[in-house]
Amino acid sequence: MLRWLVWRDLILAWRRRADALSTLFFFVIVVSLFPLGIGPETELLRSIAPGVVWVAALLASMLSLGRLFANDHQDGTLEQLLLTPQPLYLVVFGKVSAQWLTSELPLVCIAPLLGVQFGLSNETLKILVISLLLGTPVLSVIGSIGAALTLGLKSSGVLISILVLPLYVPVLIFGAGAVEASIMGLSPSSHIYLLSSLTLLSLIFAPWATAAALRISIE
Amino acid sequence: MNWPDLSMGGYGFYVWGSYLFSLIAIVWELVSLNHRKKAQSRAQKRVSPGIFERNY
Amino acid sequence: MNIYKYASPTMFYPLAGKIIPWFAWPAGILFALGIFVGFFIAPTDFQQGDAYRIIFIHVPASWLAMFLYVLMALYAGVGWAFNARLASMMASSLSITGAMFTFLSLVTGAFWGKPTWGTWWVWDARMTSTLILLFLYIGFISLQSSIDDARRADRAGAVLALVGVINVPIIYFSVQWWNTLHQGATIRILQKPTIHGSMLWAMLIMLAACWLYSVAVVLIRLRCIILEREQNARAFAEVAV
Repeated sequence: MLRWLVWRDLILAWRRRADALSTLFFFVIVVSLFPLGIGPETELLRSIAPGVVWVAALLASMLSLGRLFANDHQDGTLEQLLLTPQPLYLVVFGKVSAQWLTSELPLVCIAPLLGVQFGLSNETLKILVISLLLGTPVLSVIGSIGAALTLGLKSSGVLISILVLPLYVPVLIFGAGAVEASIMGLSPSSHIYLLSSLTLLSLIFAPWATAAALRISIE
Repeated sequence: MNWPDLSMGGYGFYVWGSYLFSLIAIVWELVSLNHRKKAQSRAQKRVSPGIFERNY
Repeated sequence: MNIYKYASPTMFYPLAGKIIPWFAWPAGILFALGIFVGFFIAPTDFQQGDAYRIIFIHVPASWLAMFLYVLMALYAGVGWAFNARLASMMASSLSITGAMFTFLSLVTGAFWGKPTWGTWWVWDARMTSTLILLFLYIGFISLQSSIDDARRADRAGAVLALVGVINVPIIYFSVQWWNTLHQGATIRILQKPTIHGSMLWAMLIMLAACWLYSVAVVLIRLRCIILEREQNARAFAEVAV
């Protein structure tokens, strides 16, 4: 069931490639805007790079979350999924995995290129990718809670951001902190460990909250 | 008991500023609640008058 | 005597009306007493001068900001788990007062920071966590106000509040971590002054006053919410004054 759900979502996302690609382009554009706003000085850019890349990743995730359940909700598929004998937790997990693969993984892949723009070293680029790899699942899964709560509401896009961005703060702190530690030459391992613990905890518990929120939103 | 120095040793703006702000917040809360209550009561009376009142 | 009848909004409405004066008047008296002790009896601080007197409103506001959030999550959870309307209405009522106290905590904190640290805002662990707490409150209030169906709004708010309350310790820890790593050499983390005697009394009295005030205001707002939501209940017309 899980495999089928992920595969289905991937196919649907492939048919609408533009949506996922626009998230990616948004990420690239936002990251590129900061040097234009702040100035091309290398030292300065290197110091703000972790924060900028991470915040842009957060914002790009917000964009893709609105689509997570809305399309299925509109054509009635979501109600059918709620009625399946399989646990709703698995359904949520499947949809979140597909969203991560289509929207977040491209961000992780393009992040090294953006890091080069900011003058980061190879070692730091590696840490950047690892931190994003560990952190973006958390963004997807906690964001899914917001998406489920605001299902079908007007102006749900902005509302999702208001609900979910405060919850993203720990991920941001540890993720950006890992990259920053690497830039300063310190070991990022403590940040990475804490980030991984956040990832594990949220992957286990958040889909349960999302499932509850889905049931509440569809009555 | 000692009479306080009203200028608060030079920090008067900050001390009285904070307390003024708090006062404004409390007053705002009470006034808005009162307003909300009055508006609701009026709406309530239109919908269902008491047993001794008429609304026609 | 059956106290469970008070779980009904219609029955609780008059009871709340009777309870409110018992909290409102003592709140006013304790406010006056707290200000008296804080300004007329407590001496000038050695380090901070008279600027420290802001804590008599700042500390109660911060404490209540956090306490009301936990309480709000608790009531929302109860309302969701037991399908109790009144508990959810209580959560909605708490949210606004809680947000107000959080905002007040931030403002008075800034007013305290300027004379003592030299800047209006500093990104220390407590201020930053309080700011995020304000965002959590705003999220809850926005979510509830954007959902038309009252019961869906109650339950959605409950999920959000519970997720938030679990996250608050995580957020606080991560912000503290972030702050200790980035501690600027120029700005010291504020040490809580060893507080004793009349200063402590003034703070505790103000804390009690704020707490009593919150109870009164939350119950007043609860009555407004009951009034709005129970309009069509026939039994309510007799009870609504």
